[in-house]
Amino acid sequence: MPAATRVDLLDPADVARLGGIEIVAEGVVEGFLAGLHRSPFRGFSVEFTEHRAYQPGDELRYLDWRILARSDRLFVKQFEEETNLRAMILVDASRSMAWRGAPERLTKRAYADRLAAALALILLRQRDATGLVTFDEEVRQVIPARVKAGQWTRLVRGLLDTPDGRGTAAHAALQRLTALLARRGLVVLISDLLFDRELALAALRYLRHRGHQVIVFHLMDPAEVELAGPPEVRFTDPESPASVVVRPRELARAYAETVQREVAAWRTACRRHGIAYHHVQTDLPFGMALRLLT
Amino acid sequence: MSFLHPLALLGLAAAAIPALLHLLQRRTPPELEFPPLRYLSETERQSARRLKLRHLLLLLLRTALIVVIVLAAARPLVPVSGGGAHEPTALVVILDNSPSSGAVVDGHPVLDRLRVAARASIARTSAADRVWLLLADGVVRGGGREALLASADSVTPDWRRLDLAQAVERAARLVHAEPLPGREVHVLSDLQRTALATGRADVPRGVRILSLAPPRGRAAANRGIASASVAEGAVVVAVTGSDGGEPAPVTVRIGTREVGRALAARGEGAAVSVTLPPQRTGWWAGEALLEPDELRADDRRPFVWRVAPPARVAAGPGSGPFIGTALSVLRDARRVGEGRDVIVGDVPAGSTGRWVVQPPADPALLGQANRALAARGVPWRWSTPGTPGPLVSRDIEQIAGAQVTRRYRLEGTAGDSDVLATVNSEPWLVRAGDVVLLGSRLDTAWTALPAAPAFVPFVDALVNRVVAGAAAVGVAEGTPRVEFRVRGADTVGATVFGLDARESDLTPATPELVAAAFGPAALVLSDTRFAAERFAGTRRADASAILLALALLLAATELGVATLTR
Repeated sequence: MPAATRVDLLDPADVARLGGIEIVAEGVVEGFLAGLHRSPFRGFSVEFTEHRAYQPGDELRYLDWRILARSDRLFVKQFEEETNLRAMILVDASRSMAWRGAPERLTKRAYADRLAAALALILLRQRDATGLVTFDEEVRQVIPARVKAGQWTRLVRGLLDTPDGRGTAAHAALQRLTALLARRGLVVLISDLLFDRELALAALRYLRHRGHQVIVFHLMDPAEVELAGPPEVRFTDPESPASVVVRPRELARAYAETVQREVAAWRTACRRHGIAYHHVQTDLPFGMALRLLT
Repeated sequence: MSFLHPLALLGLAAAAIPALLHLLQRRTPPELEFPPLRYLSETERQSARRLKLRHLLLLLLRTALIVVIVLAAARPLVPVSGGGAHEPTALVVILDNSPSSGAVVDGHPVLDRLRVAARASIARTSAADRVWLLLADGVVRGGGREALLASADSVTPDWRRLDLAQAVERAARLVHAEPLPGREVHVLSDLQRTALATGRADVPRGVRILSLAPPRGRAAANRGIASASVAEGAVVVAVTGSDGGEPAPVTVRIGTREVGRALAARGEGAAVSVTLPPQRTGWWAGEALLEPDELRADDRRPFVWRVAPPARVAAGPGSGPFIGTALSVLRDARRVGEGRDVIVGDVPAGSTGRWVVQPPADPALLGQANRALAARGVPWRWSTPGTPGPLVSRDIEQIAGAQVTRRYRLEGTAGDSDVLATVNSEPWLVRAGDVVLLGSRLDTAWTALPAAPAFVPFVDALVNRVVAGAAAVGVAEGTPRVEFRVRGADTVGATVFGLDARESDLTPATPELVAAAFGPAALVLSDTRFAAERFAGTRRADASAILLALALLLAATELGVATLTR
């Protein structure tokens, strides 16, 4: 598929206009996988370790035909783990996620839903058990990780059925999730991270401690990265009664520095605890966001 | 500081615009949702101090920018030490073109230097100034700058002397009456000490007196003829001038004929007498001459005298002993002869003949004497006794100041032209036709005159000149010349014109004398300093260009602060 027509590389807002989440996710995944030479999650599923002599009863599909052709001896390929990965995708559904800086862009929540759907499709195609948790102040949806047919549809339905929340108390939701994720696996958090960093990190650290591999997608609208607006404006917090009157032009540079510091702080803290951190703006094509995982 | 367009200062109210805009803008800001408010709050908290300073700085810069632009539009004039324009000024330029300004010192006429300075003063004036030019003739010339420049250019040495103290006071009062910020009097004179020796100028406060200092060095030596008068067949020539002059040769001429020479000694007050050759009866004019020197104007002075036969005089009844004695002396000196052409008495008799009449000693005869005068057609009569007082006379200088203790008032219908002397402003000596009336008897009981040295010359004048209707030789200031006064076909007097003798002394006044004459605030300045001090009190430069440059700087700073501190 030529790069110019690959859905995963198009503008997210343009892609969203193609149809519902399923169509978008499938298009993105098709394009994304076509652009890769290997599965991004190969290491998580089937890992080749050694050869051993064929014994009667072994499945013929694991025979190494190349060795047979060269030495006329029978060997089978042996893998480290042949069970599926358990992946849980955590989507922040708080009120702040329902915001966009411009009408032509997707809200952070819409972007997160589509990214989560695409990621789930990739994982399920690899036969990895994939589940979903949506949360705001509370955990709203929990779809346990399964690999059975129709799981992806259930996940998408779960995303669609989760309304926009009000506040964000992620640490409480994350603490509750630790209890749900008893078996170690992959945890992908998709959020704007507009909550207390230390409390959230404490929960994520706990997951790491339990042996989970944790990936964080930090979503931000471009308008949240570069401050703009009328000469003077009262900005209000959608999740609280707080407000502040500023002149965006005066604060733009200092604000950008603050955002950079915040992103750097998240990245440093995550790296320190072995958590993969990715800062994604909602105008980044989905394929590019997924590629961050490879 | 003043402003060319002060109304533009109303625009200073616009200086409140930045503050007002700041306040108005803060009232109703639009409200928008912004999820990462925590980042914004943190940013604002960290930048609060910087923003506060920035806002304050921008407010000050914008306010200052408006203020500076408005001030520039008002065209401010600020005091400067050199160059620049000046505030509207009332100026009198006193260009002293008195005779001494015609002196040539070191090959250069004094007037040229004064004219250059006067021209520079006038040329520096603007349309907002009021300017006058005052010359030695005492006329204050007003008008436009070009007209005054032309007047200054055409000035030549005048024959009139200028009383500088009086001129400065006049000029100071003139400029003081003008409602202008600046008031100056520029005195461009050779500052002769004789021009400042009398009087002191009363200069109002706020009037600057700038005087050009005389050139450095020794004063030019000059000799001039102070006076030339004829007496007893000889002309007496008085020579005056600056100290240090050499003995001066004096030449006397009648017409084109040289009639004598003499050498006047050095120093002031020297006089020589040159005998005149006998002349026929009538009026004669001559002139005394000096060798040419620095000041040519005072090297020549005319003189005039009258040659007439002695009057034949007789003492009438009641003339008194003093008159008799005086006539005897005059007769011995051949100033009068025997005869009855003129009779001196107390009651005129007959209807013809010239009479010098004094009041009768007996008051009972006063009525008879008055009737006799009336019978001769004399419009004067003796009246009641008058108050004592000194004699005042311009025609007969010898008697001026003599005390009169007893007199009769002279009443008459004739004009003042017949009055030859007065006491307490009342006629004392009058002439009507061939009759001369005295208010007092020429007796020591009536007046001190008979005991004074001037008595015999007075009687001489009465009988030889006054009763004949001839006036004395007058002296006046002006171009050296002689003017004769005539009555009908007769010459009855003459006036000799010449320059004031004080003009011959070219010695400049000392600074102390200048300060005493013009006031201690007067400045006596060299040419260079005079040029620098001219209008210095109100000299202003237009600062609008500097303010506009400052406005540009402020605008650039504001732009820099507004963009670089975001």
